[in-house]
Amino acid sequence: MKPAPFHYVRPETLEDALSDLARHPGEARIIAGGQSLVAMMNLRLAHPELLVDINGLQELDYHRVDSDMLCIGALARHAALAASPLVQKVAPLMSAAYPHVAHSAVRNRGTLAGNLCHADPASEMPAVMLALDARFRARSVKGDREIAATDFFLGPYTTALAEDEMLVEIRVPVRQCGYGFEEVSIRQGDFALTLVAATLSLQAGRVHAASIAYAGVEGNALRIASAEKLLIGEVPSDALFERVAAEAANVIQPGDDMHADAAYRLDMIRTLTPRALRSAAATA
Amino acid sequence: MTEEFHELTLTVNGKRVQRRVPARLLLSDFLRQDLHLTGTHVGCEHGVCGTCTVSVNGKCTRSCLTFAIQLQGCEVSTVESVGTLQKMHPLQKAFWEKHGLQCGFCTPGMLMTAMELLAENHAPTREQIADAISGNLCRCTGYETIIDAITAAAAEMREMETQA
Amino acid sequence: MNTRYIPDLEIPAPRREKSPDVDLRWIGKSMKRVEDPRLLTGKGKYLDDVVLPNMAHAALLRSPHAHARIKSIDTSKARDLPGVICVVTGHEFAETTGPTVTFASPPVVQHAIAVDKVRYVGEAVAAVVAESRYIAEDALELIEVEYEKLPVISDITQQEFASGDAVLHPERGENNVAMDRTFTFGPVDDDFARADHVIKRRLRWGRSSAQPMETVGAVADFDAGTGKFNVHCNTSMYTYVGWLCAVSLNVPATHLNIIPTLAGGSFGSKLFLHRAIVLTAGLARIAGCPVKYMEDRLDNLSNNDAHGSDRLYDAELALAKDGTMLALRYRVWDDYGAYLQFGYGTHGNAFSQIVGPYRINSVQARITAVLSNKCQQGAYRGFGSEVTNFVLERMTDAAARELGIDGVELRRHNLIRPDEFPYIIPSGNVYDSGNYPAVLEEGLRLFDMEGWKRKQAQAKAEGRHIGIGLVSCQERSVFSATEFWSLNPPDQPGFPLTSSPESLAIRLDPTGKVFVQLNAPFWGNSPETMVTQIVAEALTVEPSDVSVGYVDTDAGFNGTGPGGSRFTVMVAGAAVKGVRTLREKLYRFAAHMLECSVDDLELRDGKVGVKGVNGLEKSIAEVAGAAHYFRLNFPQDPGFDSGLETTAVYDHPLTTMPAPDRSHLGIFYPIMGHMVHAAAVEVDPKTGKVKILDYVAVHDCGTVVNPMTLAGHVRGGAVQGIGTALYEHIGYDAEGQLLTGSFADYHIPSVHEAPAHIRVGHVSTPSPYTEYGIKGGGEGGRMAAPPLIVQAVENALQDYGVQLSEVPLTPRRLREIVREATSR
Repeated sequence: MKPAPFHYVRPETLEDALSDLARHPGEARIIAGGQSLVAMMNLRLAHPELLVDINGLQELDYHRVDSDMLCIGALARHAALAASPLVQKVAPLMSAAYPHVAHSAVRNRGTLAGNLCHADPASEMPAVMLALDARFRARSVKGDREIAATDFFLGPYTTALAEDEMLVEIRVPVRQCGYGFEEVSIRQGDFALTLVAATLSLQAGRVHAASIAYAGVEGNALRIASAEKLLIGEVPSDALFERVAAEAANVIQPGDDMHADAAYRLDMIRTLTPRALRSAAATA
Repeated sequence: MTEEFHELTLTVNGKRVQRRVPARLLLSDFLRQDLHLTGTHVGCEHGVCGTCTVSVNGKCTRSCLTFAIQLQGCEVSTVESVGTLQKMHPLQKAFWEKHGLQCGFCTPGMLMTAMELLAENHAPTREQIADAISGNLCRCTGYETIIDAITAAAAEMREMETQA
Repeated sequence: MNTRYIPDLEIPAPRREKSPDVDLRWIGKSMKRVEDPRLLTGKGKYLDDVVLPNMAHAALLRSPHAHARIKSIDTSKARDLPGVICVVTGHEFAETTGPTVTFASPPVVQHAIAVDKVRYVGEAVAAVVAESRYIAEDALELIEVEYEKLPVISDITQQEFASGDAVLHPERGENNVAMDRTFTFGPVDDDFARADHVIKRRLRWGRSSAQPMETVGAVADFDAGTGKFNVHCNTSMYTYVGWLCAVSLNVPATHLNIIPTLAGGSFGSKLFLHRAIVLTAGLARIAGCPVKYMEDRLDNLSNNDAHGSDRLYDAELALAKDGTMLALRYRVWDDYGAYLQFGYGTHGNAFSQIVGPYRINSVQARITAVLSNKCQQGAYRGFGSEVTNFVLERMTDAAARELGIDGVELRRHNLIRPDEFPYIIPSGNVYDSGNYPAVLEEGLRLFDMEGWKRKQAQAKAEGRHIGIGLVSCQERSVFSATEFWSLNPPDQPGFPLTSSPESLAIRLDPTGKVFVQLNAPFWGNSPETMVTQIVAEALTVEPSDVSVGYVDTDAGFNGTGPGGSRFTVMVAGAAVKGVRTLREKLYRFAAHMLECSVDDLELRDGKVGVKGVNGLEKSIAEVAGAAHYFRLNFPQDPGFDSGLETTAVYDHPLTTMPAPDRSHLGIFYPIMGHMVHAAAVEVDPKTGKVKILDYVAVHDCGTVVNPMTLAGHVRGGAVQGIGTALYEHIGYDAEGQLLTGSFADYHIPSVHEAPAHIRVGHVSTPSPYTEYGIKGGGEGGRMAAPPLIVQAVENALQDYGVQLSEVPLTPRRLREIVREATSR
């Protein structure tokens, strides 16, 4: 399975990369790790006319904390983030999710930004970003803007990025909170049949803030506000978590595919939500 | 659209290589067809089986998901650099001793993955080895003797280090 | 009252030279493999490594429809693309190349490139030959095909009602039933009439696929000067029926040479590959240059020879009240897909061990083989017998449950007894030897059944669901040729061949080194190592004195190839025979050199010496040197003509004809291995996920040549069986669209899905019929794991009262079963 022909550029600066995107609206794709894109190109499911290779923009390969924000550059590789003590400290939900993300060779080259822009509906990181209230900085020749993760994922393989925009930085607020991550997949490392990413913070034994994000269930990763609301002000308990799970199962309308039908996904929502919330409560 | 060609210079198994290649030439095909390094095998061409695994700047990479031109100035290592008939690497010797292969098709990818693991972790547990090779599919062995082999190689390499 | 029905046949006497109870030096050693160094250093030559000067590349346009008439194909734009050498449609290909081979009788006509109609998603509609595979795939996108869609029936039980345009091969029949026949072996009706219990189950075996890591490929070169084809291919059975590819290519058999390469796994899927050979050769002839066709993974999933059985059973087991099994009766629908290259061989195969290890008195099977709009079945490890193992063990488990008898005890009660061998089963096949109670005991011991029962009880108290399973299954080895046609209608058997030999060429060079040439390939079995150990044993030389190579069909000689767990036994027979010929000549020369009688001589430690007289001997090298170069030192008798070489052909050691009315099928697969597998699993009833906690496999493969490589097959096969049980499914939807078209959707077990440790045990009841008493063991693991896993999962979920009757049990399906059970 070989890809169709394309033009290739390897800009030396971010400005050049953005110009390349601006000059070829709708026809250019950024390639960083390529772990999702090249597979689709080999299958001829994607045929970009121009590949803009940003692997030369080494200044984008970073992750650091800056005024209570974990800032992750466009070229930060999954492997570095997964192994990072800093990430484990300030965003442990990411570290908890990483063992489920593909395999070591894919994590070596694949980037977090690339994964988020690919927006596979069953991928782990979009849900993790939603649960962490991440914000994404998009840049084009026209300027910068910040997009909340909750506004970023519009549908399967569809994001809010404009054709000439590049995701240059991911910003995750550093918060003290508990976290929980549960996933069911056919084999470890496969895309999720259902996954739940949750955070919980407690004040005086009651839930002060909570986030619950799902992926693998509908067209893109999503948070269920009505389920989260049920937690606020309550004392964590199994009964509470069951109610939250039931609400999520009420709201989400899962799809059917060869590997899991809606009934299975609803069961997983009901089963995995309490497990994730229990972990989150225990680490809060 | 017509084929677009680019100049490419990189190091493969320690040797400098200079070629003019199509933009869309996959690294797996570049190694196998242009450089005649047929030790790297192709199993799926969509990044799932891990058969095509090589090392790029010391990191394991699926060569079927990489375009050769992306590796300007990089160092690529393939199974041919691990050892030879006359001078086998402890990993190759261990795979041989422990029957860590049957058809041999996934073996180069397994060896490259094991090389990366052992460079980072001199005494991996069986679970750590399993995590490392979880992205390399083998249809023949059931994996147990592969883990036996990597465990044995790690022990021998630690022994060689102590003696050195 | 236990009348035992025995078909009226005579078992021929064994004819073998080497019995197993001799002091063995090399056989039985876990020697490192001869094949490995080149594989480990990246120097193995697989098919895609074959490069010929001026070689072009082919790609196939695959049908997007499951069933359609091809109304028109416009290849003009594709042909105009720079770098394209030719574009060939089915009609154009058929001008020079005929249909491909089939074992089915009456035949089902198949072309390497579809003519007029496509019958499954993935079927080849046109071929492009271009300077690179990249360009060839570009050209595929420029071919314009107009299709007229035809109806698709997907329900296996509805194909008998297919009519009109839903019929795939109207010239062959009125509906999509290729065969509907009942085979009766023994007094089935009487046995069911006298039964105290009749257990009934409907069982479904889903379609899975061999999916080796290396796909299928061929590189063909047509010499326009001689009109001869040379084709490299990673095929297995090229010497057996390779000449039939010549027939398809419309050339005499002398004008097709097939050259084997290493194969990166096969598990049956590379058995024949006539389509790849005929396609590539035909394209090379048209293109005027060598052509390589390498399947990509999409081809190997959709348009290949790798799919296994796809069956629905309505099965009945009749038992007496004490649990004695009396008779087995079933109706099976088998969805063969769009063509029938192997005929109904997968059911004949099943008949070789249809009663399992049990003393079942009679069997009746109604086989409805249907055609459908799916890729045709090929051969996948087990070739249909792994399915009947599943049926037998599920029925045994169902009987245990209904009769309230422990499953292990029910099995033990029904096992064929050690003093009953050779044992003739109702279908006519023979089990040559065995000690099934001993294998069972060893399995229970190695697994620690009592220990696991305790752990299971503890886990239950903690709210965990641990399940325990044990199965006892047969693994037949060394098929006979009659299996290919004995199920065809007796008045239309097709080609009723009865030879399935194996050969090798063996010679001693002037320095006493041994050169062996095989005409069967390497595909992950260990032919070089097997031959090295056996020849070293028979000739009393060191393994390092033996060199093994492979020949093509020009140089080659009678052979069948690996498959059906036959190769080691058959090549051992050929090796022993070849060594015997060389030994006789060595003795003749040595007797002259030592001035004694040939009867005084023996082989010892690489020397020819006088028995009982140490020191009165010559090294094999000395004798060989003399035999090669010193003719005048020896008598005129032609027995002293120069050289030490021979070709040895070894026929199947024990085969008889089927009865003309097929009341029995004769002896056709008698070298019978046996195994007990046991496992402990943990099931999460909320997610449907299964984890394997412990796994034991005890195998009786008679004399084992190399325990290490055998254990490799047991483990690898078991993991494939686990894949079949829990993860793998080739799925087609109601319109015949393939749902599992890539490795993202077809889930081969990774290291995490395999048990961390499979403990392998051995029991050995050597065969009386084979050299050294060897039996085949290459398929075993996969033939026991599926019923074992299903039994263990069912045991884990016993509180839910579920009955599990299918594979694969994916998380979705298991969860659905639990959900239905809890809502009742």
